[in-house]
Amino acid sequence: MSLLHKGLRHRLTLFLAVLGPGFITASVDQDAPGIFTYSQAGAQFGYALLWTMIPISVSLIVVQEMAARMGAVTGKGLSDLIREEFGFRITFFLMIALVVTNFGNVVAEFAGVASSLELFGASRYVVVPAAAFIVWVIAVRGTYDSIEKIFLTASAFYVSYVIAGLLAQPDWKAAAFATVTRPSATGIRSYSYVYMVVALVGTTIAPWMQFYLQASVVEKGVTVRQYWASRWDVVLGCLFAVVIAWFIIVACAATLYTNGIHNITSATDAAQALRPLAGDYAYLLFAAGLFNASLFAASILPISTAYAVCEGLGFESGLDKKFHEAPVFYWLYTLLIVAGAGVLLIPDLPLVYISVLSQVANGVVLPFVLIFMLMLTNDRELMGAYTNSRRFNVIAWATVIVMILLTIVMMVRRG
Amino acid sequence: MSVVALSELLGATVRDATGTVRGRVREIAVAPQDHPTRVAYLIVKTPGGERALPADDVKSCGGTVRTVTESGQWSAYVPSDGVLLLKRDLLDQQIIDVHGRKVVRVNDVEIESTPTNGHLLLNVVAVDVGARGAIRRLSKGVVPSFTLRLLLEKIPPRVIPWQFVDLLETDPARRVKLKIAYEGLAGLHPADIADIVEDLPAAEREAVFETIDEEVAAETLEELDPDVKVSIVESLDKDRAADIVEEMDPDAAADLLGDLAEEHSGEILKEMEPKERREVTQLLEFGEHTAAGRMTTEFIAVPENGVVDDAIEALKTFEGGREALATIYLTGPAQKLSGAVPLVKIAISSPAIGLSQLSEPYIACAPDTPQNEVAALFDKYNLITLAVVDEHGRLAGIITADDVITMLRHRD
Repeated sequence: MSLLHKGLRHRLTLFLAVLGPGFITASVDQDAPGIFTYSQAGAQFGYALLWTMIPISVSLIVVQEMAARMGAVTGKGLSDLIREEFGFRITFFLMIALVVTNFGNVVAEFAGVASSLELFGASRYVVVPAAAFIVWVIAVRGTYDSIEKIFLTASAFYVSYVIAGLLAQPDWKAAAFATVTRPSATGIRSYSYVYMVVALVGTTIAPWMQFYLQASVVEKGVTVRQYWASRWDVVLGCLFAVVIAWFIIVACAATLYTNGIHNITSATDAAQALRPLAGDYAYLLFAAGLFNASLFAASILPISTAYAVCEGLGFESGLDKKFHEAPVFYWLYTLLIVAGAGVLLIPDLPLVYISVLSQVANGVVLPFVLIFMLMLTNDRELMGAYTNSRRFNVIAWATVIVMILLTIVMMVRRG
Repeated sequence: MSVVALSELLGATVRDATGTVRGRVREIAVAPQDHPTRVAYLIVKTPGGERALPADDVKSCGGTVRTVTESGQWSAYVPSDGVLLLKRDLLDQQIIDVHGRKVVRVNDVEIESTPTNGHLLLNVVAVDVGARGAIRRLSKGVVPSFTLRLLLEKIPPRVIPWQFVDLLETDPARRVKLKIAYEGLAGLHPADIADIVEDLPAAEREAVFETIDEEVAAETLEELDPDVKVSIVESLDKDRAADIVEEMDPDAAADLLGDLAEEHSGEILKEMEPKERREVTQLLEFGEHTAAGRMTTEFIAVPENGVVDDAIEALKTFEGGREALATIYLTGPAQKLSGAVPLVKIAISSPAIGLSQLSEPYIACAPDTPQNEVAALFDKYNLITLAVVDEHGRLAGIITADDVITMLRHRD
């Protein structure tokens, strides 16, 4: 075997060994509220919002790359670093905010599980407790490796959206063109258009992702030497996520928008509206994709929240500990699942309101998290030679500022 | 004598001998080279820049620090690697709680102040890792300090006395200056050290393995999770790695080197002593999942015509692992395995009895026996050790019961 060939194979093996965290995080990002937002974007504006996909990919990659790099260089989680660099008080309030926000997200994910299976005629009073149990078991019984395999498999199921998109028979040329053209000036003046852009960006970059990604890079034992592979994992994961989003928008644009259905109120709404237009298979794939995404996200959020909070505040954490050794960790984890799922069993719950609230909470917490991340990745004492480059900083700060402005706009308009 | 918390001192106003406010406390420094726990100086932020206020000048401390000297006598603060800065190096950082055998995060630091000759002696006595320190820091500046003190007294303290604290420092030069040697950690059982090490970030793991005694490091390495083991050894410099690997049991060393990337294992082997290198290379040539891959070449073999006393002499000079002592093997002409004597029989027999009289039927297997069959033999014959015999009937090595337990536990 030639040296070159051997080197290539070695690098490929290394890449496959490191693959996972970035890909999983980006996939989980396409959760129930995410799928709803993309569907809504397609239904309401057709192909007109596809131009957002490229800037969204860039920001997503920039932010996720920082989290992964911090994990590989320091070997510590994001909440650990925030605690060590910014002190106890800041960490305490940030962790409270994170718990509240993530609780809202957990509820939204279980709502996604319930409504997707209701499309198949299952009662939520059976489905939600069952899903909660599965989520609990996956984390408590699984090892990091086995969980990662389950999650990577779940990521693959997102392809169902690509197939649904193909079944919708869109106008490919128009869609491709809309992706690379500048937004039209008239659109920007309309309120609902701006609102939708904000929602698209907001649903793609969430605070929990940064904590989760960094923690799993650390957990996987990725070090600086393998970081180049981790970076590819992040980039490919983000691109994959955006491609999925693109197909969801295209599927809804080609069917719902074209047929004058401009207003949907949930992701299941979108699935139902697709049925007469794109056929039973597209409908089933859409619903199954939603179920997969919601369950997937519901499995990750509670455990990653418990880890982040306990590590930041100095409580014992880890599934290798017994209950009495790490009570706060287990209580927090269990409560997030039980309460998050339990809320859905209350009859006549205003689900839309809760989902909006959880996104607002995400929006409030996110700027703080991003600013901390930027400060940390620019700290030479912490990152050594791996601080942000000047060009990277420009893009990253621009992303942060745009995110903050968009969030403020969204909240002012909502309030 | 009273105890003051670091978080109370930080930000406290400083009044000099004239009673004038001169600044605020920004940091507190301990110089371990002069005294392991004594506060050397307080760094005071004054309008004229940062000053190092010698701890000997402090008359009283708490919400306000009063000094016996005037501010003009305080020298300018010059940053130094050789001092431990309590806020930067300790507060909110992780440390090893040697007594509780785990990694914990510091919520606050307790400093004891003892009046001596008109000034105070300040000593670090403990770190607070419980709710008391947490609540103190949350409420600082929000709740009046008197009320806060009353409230905090009601919270049971969770503190770790300073002698049980091992600091984590990743810079080797600074470890030397701060006299961090992980003595407390190294005194623990290797299995406990391994648990602690697995909870640490990569750089801190490396720091521990660069510092602790090679023998302890070797034993700890054997207890670690294979992935962690590999990443630690690959991060150490080759000399150090070779020193540690030499101290490991040859079978564990061979397993470890087999898991490393070829470039790393080759370089480590090159640095090893010839004797250890030979043993390990031999083992490396066999498949990992065979009897030979699991065996150790450190065992006790005595000529079959020897007596009990010869066996006892061999025991005295044996340098291998204790688990290999359970059976004394007997060899005949050309090193052929001819018998086995359990250690118990040696202990209860008189020194002059011939070993061949004590010999029992033994169980042996070939070097290429798959590990599953090895486990089956242990199960069937209730073995403690199993002889591995080459094609000429010579004893090549032995497998001990603990190897089998490890093997079974790691089989997925």
